Amino acid sequence: MNCYNCGCRLSEHDFCTSCGADVSKYKAIMRISNLYYNEGLEKAQIRDLSGAVTSLRQSLKFNKNNIEARNLLGLVYFEMGEVVAALSEWVISKNLRPQKNIADDYIEMVQSNATRLDTINQTIKKYNQALAYCMQDSKDLARIQLKKVLSLNPKFVRAHQLLALLYIDSEQWDKAKRELDKCCKIDVNNTQTLRYLKEVEKMLMPDENGKTTAKNRNEDAYRYQSDNEIIIQPLNVHEPKGNAISTIFNVIIGLVLGIAVMYFLIVPSAVAEERTKSQIKEREMGESIDEKNGIIANLQTENKNLEADNRKLREDLEAYVGSDGTLKTVDELFAAAVEYITNKDALATAAHLENVESGVNLEETSEAFRLLYETLVEKVGAEAGASYYTSGSDAYESGDYDKAIEDLNKAVRYDPENGDIYYTLGHAYRRAEQKTEAIAAYTKVLELQPDTERARKAQNYIDELSAN
Amino acid sequence: MINFEEELKKFHPSLEVEDAADAIYNQDMTDMADILVKMLKETEAEE
Repeated sequence: MNCYNCGCRLSEHDFCTSCGADVSKYKAIMRISNLYYNEGLEKAQIRDLSGAVTSLRQSLKFNKNNIEARNLLGLVYFEMGEVVAALSEWVISKNLRPQKNIADDYIEMVQSNATRLDTINQTIKKYNQALAYCMQDSKDLARIQLKKVLSLNPKFVRAHQLLALLYIDSEQWDKAKRELDKCCKIDVNNTQTLRYLKEVEKMLMPDENGKTTAKNRNEDAYRYQSDNEIIIQPLNVHEPKGNAISTIFNVIIGLVLGIAVMYFLIVPSAVAEERTKSQIKEREMGESIDEKNGIIANLQTENKNLEADNRKLREDLEAYVGSDGTLKTVDELFAAAVEYITNKDALATAAHLENVESGVNLEETSEAFRLLYETLVEKVGAEAGASYYTSGSDAYESGDYDKAIEDLNKAVRYDPENGDIYYTLGHAYRRAEQKTEAIAAYTKVLELQPDTERARKAQNYIDELSAN
Repeated sequence: MINFEEELKKFHPSLEVEDAADAIYNQDMTDMADILVKMLKETEAEE
């Protein structure tokens, strides 16, 4: 303890050994402050936190520099959930004694974790909001808000008390008691808590006559708490008395009413439901049938088309295939080859080749087929052309113009550069009165034998035929 | 019987962290020792 006048350390004397000031009263004040601090410490040790707050505040009223008292007050505030008040005390303590002060650790503990500080602030804001809701008579919102506050800071005594007060106001005595019990676990001797608790217990306990209290009397049930269960025991409930006849009568009435309800309400609705279901099913089946009919019609059309294709293909195949199943054109080509190799008969070979040519498109045949055909044509072409020219000329001379035209056309096929054949063919056409073909044949003569006597004659015939 | 309205008046908004500095500055720090010292000094001055 230091002298208030000069700051020197005081001895056991009632005066300052340095400046001589009378410090007896000053020492008495310091002792009172310490006395209150000790009292506050004892109360804090038995968790009489509100009592400790009172004693420690008294201690600080006598000596604001009592650092231990101030630090303990901050700690008690912190335990009661009053974090800002605790911080304030610790900050003042730190300012009064900057060195070797445990308040440093306390402040560090709170401020080091930003999330924790934010949570503390949120808790305070929510509590203030809940209080505002109470003022505005929005008690449900206040209750919700206070529950949030207590989930964040379960040691906040004032929040517990306010929530208990709200429960008391709504006559939820068991819930109020639960909150107040929590308050008591934090602060055992809080007068406000104890006052509320007394009121709540009075409401929960039955009175001396075994009846419920004024509040519960209006209700038909007696509620109390057993561990975590809320027991609701109905009161003034008596079993109805009656004789057997009335019971049977009531049962019969019940049965009749039940049957009537079933007949008038349940059966029609069930019938309507079934009807709707059957209609839906019928509609679905109708749609299914339509769909299948459409598929059948498509398939029938497709079948007809396929049958037509099949018929056409069969006809084509019959044209190609002989009676023994082999291809006619191949037979003809083989026959031409055999005829040429065996008999060297140019006309017979040419006849087979003509059948091949008329029966198949040579561009679509295989290379071997085409090669054999062309080789045979080359071999017998000149001789066959000459033979057809001779037979065609003979037929013309004898007046058989159709035969002449046929043979001369064959001769032209094997010897297409021979103008004499075209000249005779022109005559045959002219005699057969086929003017267009005759002009075409004479025109060919003009191309193959220009500036000749035959060409001049051919021109005369063309002019004559054109004039007619 | 507890009167809700009356009891509610006993509850006050809690100080928020932002307001802590103002609360500290505005706190009356005068204690009994200050008063005693002041009285003693006044007495000495009168003598």
